[in-house]
Amino acid sequence: MAGKSAATPSTYSPSPAPKTKRPIFQDVDWVRPDGRGFHQCRPAFLKTGAVNAASGSAYAEFGNTKVIVSVFGPRESKKAMAYSGTGRLNCNVSYTTFAMPIRGQGSDHKGYSSMLHKALEGAIIVESFPKTTVDVFALVLESGGSDLPVVISCASLALADAGIMMYDLVASVSVSCLGKNLVIDPILEEESYQDGSLLITCMPSRNEVTQLTVNGEWSTPRVHEAMQICLEACSKLAKIIRSCLKETASAPKD
Amino acid sequence: MVGLSVGEKHFIQGGIAQDLRTDGRRRLTYRPFNVETGVIPQANGSARVRLGGTDVIASVKAELGKPSPSQPDKGKVNIYVDCSPTAAPMFEGRGGEELSTELSGALQHCLLGGKSGAGAGIDLSSLVVVEGKVCWDLYIDGLVVSSDGNLLDALGAAIKAALTNTGIPKVEVAVGASGDGLPEVDISDDEYLQFDTSGVPVIVTLTKVGRHYIVDATLEEESQMSSAVSVSVSGQGRICGLIKRGGAGLDPSVILDMISVAKHVSEQLMNKLDSEISAAEAFEEES
Amino acid sequence: MTSHSQPSVLWQRRSTRRYNPFLGFFSDYHLGLFVGLSLFYSLEVVLGNKTLKKMVSANVSGDLSSEMEVDAFRRLFPLRYHERFLLDSIRPDARPLGRARDTSLALGAVASADGSALAKIGCTTMLAAVKMEVMTPPKESPDEGSIAIEFYMPPICSPLVRPGRPAEEAPVVSKQLSDTILSSGMINLKELSLVSGKAAWMAYLDIYCLDADGSLFDAALLAAVAAFSHLRIPVVSLNEEGRVVVVSEENEEGKSEKEPVNKGKRKLTLSSLPFSLTCILHKNYILADPTAEEESIMETLVTVVLDSSGQLVSLYKPGGPVLAYASAVQDCIALTRQRVKELKSILNEAISDMEVD
Repeated sequence: MAGKSAATPSTYSPSPAPKTKRPIFQDVDWVRPDGRGFHQCRPAFLKTGAVNAASGSAYAEFGNTKVIVSVFGPRESKKAMAYSGTGRLNCNVSYTTFAMPIRGQGSDHKGYSSMLHKALEGAIIVESFPKTTVDVFALVLESGGSDLPVVISCASLALADAGIMMYDLVASVSVSCLGKNLVIDPILEEESYQDGSLLITCMPSRNEVTQLTVNGEWSTPRVHEAMQICLEACSKLAKIIRSCLKETASAPKD
Repeated sequence: MVGLSVGEKHFIQGGIAQDLRTDGRRRLTYRPFNVETGVIPQANGSARVRLGGTDVIASVKAELGKPSPSQPDKGKVNIYVDCSPTAAPMFEGRGGEELSTELSGALQHCLLGGKSGAGAGIDLSSLVVVEGKVCWDLYIDGLVVSSDGNLLDALGAAIKAALTNTGIPKVEVAVGASGDGLPEVDISDDEYLQFDTSGVPVIVTLTKVGRHYIVDATLEEESQMSSAVSVSVSGQGRICGLIKRGGAGLDPSVILDMISVAKHVSEQLMNKLDSEISAAEAFEEES
Repeated sequence: MTSHSQPSVLWQRRSTRRYNPFLGFFSDYHLGLFVGLSLFYSLEVVLGNKTLKKMVSANVSGDLSSEMEVDAFRRLFPLRYHERFLLDSIRPDARPLGRARDTSLALGAVASADGSALAKIGCTTMLAAVKMEVMTPPKESPDEGSIAIEFYMPPICSPLVRPGRPAEEAPVVSKQLSDTILSSGMINLKELSLVSGKAAWMAYLDIYCLDADGSLFDAALLAAVAAFSHLRIPVVSLNEEGRVVVVSEENEEGKSEKEPVNKGKRKLTLSSLPFSLTCILHKNYILADPTAEEESIMETLVTVVLDSSGQLVSLYKPGGPVLAYASAVQDCIALTRQRVKELKSILNEAISDMEVD
């Protein structure tokens, strides 16, 4: 709309199309593109209070995956909504136009929005804010793989920052199945070649799984193994989230 | 929504706890179901599945298209589900939209496998006509005619039946037309290719009510659920997809237990469905 | 999984605080409120840290009710609340009238873009990123590229924006930004040409508001200018089909690929960068760099855009109840001139920081 010409000409990205050659991922032994071990997560950076205008917010950075989540409310539900004795949760996930290697439209991600809702609804005490709505909005600034788990974990931190009552913090981790290996916290490149994926969202201190999705072909022992790896990583992640919250709470208020 | 009195709720929950549900079934028994194929003559394949009070139709349409550049050796499949306003008053207007998206997403998740195409119920590479140039696009549409719970399992079964019923016209590629443009193809009118649907998984949904879980829940029973796990299992007993619904958390060991139960149930369901489908196909050919 | 204490550039350098000499270390928002308290109840302007410290301890110790009253007053009579501050030539966040909020800039915040920057003015945060794509230039200008600028206000940035209902300000700011950037002559569109008449760059500049707290245009323009100064154009060559493709580093040594078409043109020469300052006109007061709260109470805004050599690029005064005398506009321009100097040094600092890395 803003360019010189009124009708925007069609453009294309000069980056080469993804090669069909399958990299080494089939083999039993290979080194991950970022040099991690198969069962090693990316370093996580989390921070609360990224957005001042929101009731609570958090920023998460896992490798190249950068996400901001804002929480608004509890506030008045939309006019059209019927009366409800319990609170409502409203989730929305969107991407920036530059989040992906190829420029996108920056539209809402409906699938992720509903997955985020399902992952959080079990953890939030909706009885604590009757008749009102809590809005959880996420923006993926840059997509570097495992976007949904990062959004979920970041959202639970933002909810805690906003003072919304929860049964426990929610942590989420995914694994990719690449050939014979299970790879935790996959990056974008690994995700695009994966044979299957498993995503777990859980409340570690209650040992409860709030959301689980499996994709692709798996045998039962593999599912078992993958769940074990994920749950371990989730409890570690929850510790990091908790320490981040403590840090914020104990920060000197000078 | 189902409006139940406290007494009715107790009756349902108590029945499930004692392994005798309100309609006389046990916890792991399906309702009797009925498959009809070839219900929509215009489509390449179609089927209608009635599972108790739940009634769904699935149709498959095939069109020639261009494969996506990232996967030149594979065809494309679209799954879309529509909830008819006749099925339930809450589907009127835009009310059915959310459920439609959820069901479409769940079916894609359960039937299409991982990103690399591994574990897909439908063999996408058989849909390619000319690599990188021409392929078949399958449009799978589901329609919920009447809803009495367990829509996902019913839709999964209907899609499997519709795919079995699908004939894709044989395509001749004109020789010597290779070049930059699209190759010329000749679609045969009387020769059809049948799909191999033995790999298409069935979906088993286990609904947790109280401390127990049941298969094939009715709408009333679904209103009492705390959470549900849908597992899609292929004929070889491998898991092709899994989705959890409902807000309440589950213990990881319970989930693993549910997976093994779902696998067990799926074997019976698969056999039953296969025999129903072949009976329906035989019936269709006769008439 | 390990905790990571060294994040990327995104949230690292946000605390380049310039302390207010008048208030010592008290530049925090809450303490601004305490200053407000003193203005109401003791009607004295507090000077020096001692008095303030005493006040703070008094307030913390138990004067919760009076704090509540101030907060209630602020909500019920926002205009009177603010005017009371203006009488003493100070603002609720302890700034003098003509001072802009602390500003920080970080380049290269998004790795998936060709150029990006994060700008923060007070709490207002903007993330701008440039992505380069190839287009066939229009016949009228065969050797010129193009720039497409879009400004977004996603629902995360403000409680007023909800999904599916875009913010009203977004298209306005979007239009202002593209008018300003294209008319300032900052970028020579001829530099974006690749093969005359065949291929040229289309630079997509997308600016996301991450936190909206007033002066959106100023922050967006700063982020946009910074993103262009961070821009590195990918090296490309023409392939057999006449399409432009990126020359990847692995290919360069192995096969003798075609000669890159834009060697040595990886950076744009930016001339006369535009910088802006938004001011509120209220009665006879001029408040530089307003917060969202101030903008909502006092509605007359003047935005002045000057280029780096001090020439006027554009001036917006979109109506509002206060009619400005020429002298008031001149005062705004003078304030902007001051601000441009600050912004220039902030930008240069950010660029040199990046080059050191």
